Amino acid sequence: MFKLRKAEPRDVPDILRLIKELAKYEEMEDRVMLTEKDLLEDGFGEHPFYQCILAEWQEEQSNEEPKVIGFAMYYFTYDPWTGKLLYLEDFFVVEEFRGKGIGSEILKLLSHLAMKTRCGSMHFIVAEDNRSSIEFYKRRGAEDLSKEEGWRLFRFDKDSILKMAAPAEE
Amino acid sequence: MDFKIRAAKQEDCKEISRMIIELAVFEKMQDQVKISTQELERDGFCSNPLFECQVAEVSEEQKSSQGYTVVGYVLYYYTYSTWMGLTVFMEDLYVMPEYRGKGIGKGLMSKVAQVGKEKQCTRLQLAVLDWNTRSLDFYIMKGARDMTASEGWHALRFDGEALDKLAAEAPKD
Repeated sequence: MFKLRKAEPRDVPDILRLIKELAKYEEMEDRVMLTEKDLLEDGFGEHPFYQCILAEWQEEQSNEEPKVIGFAMYYFTYDPWTGKLLYLEDFFVVEEFRGKGIGSEILKLLSHLAMKTRCGSMHFIVAEDNRSSIEFYKRRGAEDLSKEEGWRLFRFDKDSILKMAAPAEE
Repeated sequence: MDFKIRAAKQEDCKEISRMIIELAVFEKMQDQVKISTQELERDGFCSNPLFECQVAEVSEEQKSSQGYTVVGYVLYYYTYSTWMGLTVFMEDLYVMPEYRGKGIGKGLMSKVAQVGKEKQCTRLQLAVLDWNTRSLDFYIMKGARDMTASEGWHALRFDGEALDKLAAEAPKD
């Protein structure tokens, strides 16, 4: 059976492990640059940049330590039209534990947290070829803003940022 | 044209509110704007602000036909990539139509890049509407990549009834 709880500093190795498993699922595992030290400083310091919920599994009547088999990482962002938002950055359940309602419970908990912290909505991105995730979200009422309203995600990488930040030569 | 880019102060929220609506009108979504000046003040100027803002200001001599000297803004916040760490998200970038083509948009965006650089952000991200070709070109010219086109990322949202319904089914505390 499973249990959901807030992540603690001691969970950082498990969080990194799951981040890498999710990246592998997205076929982008070589892009994970963060270390356990980064995650510890960034999530459990004075001004955390993220919040994290973990799903733990324990076999009934077992004396073994529960295993961390799922996680959701989120933070708060802002929509100038409606105010505070909950942004879901990563959401993953280890393959062998899917189909047991764990993902569903995590999503419900996040929604509850969103409402409790005065958020008008919950946002996230999904790769369009990740059909099973898109279906999971749409079944529960999510709207695809890229498809319905035409929003495209754009990114400037470090080199471009440095170039733009340099004083103008005009 | 001389203009100054500076960090927004609480008193600027009235002008920022005005321009948020102007941008929403441009994006053809003005009926989606629900927020008030007071809420902006509360959310941007408290001890843990939810966003930061820079404004573009011109002198009295160059004020707009309706008397405004604050003629552009950029509203941004910090996000966290589990791959790369702290990133900056540029939520709104707007310059009033009569002040475009004078480097103000570029100035506002450079300021966000500078702030991002100081905080060691590894990425600056934003969302653009697919029909807004003038903006799409502006960003691409400055080095941005369209992640929706190249990697298929779509933005999804739960709000209103869908969010209420999910929340109602959450395990009790």
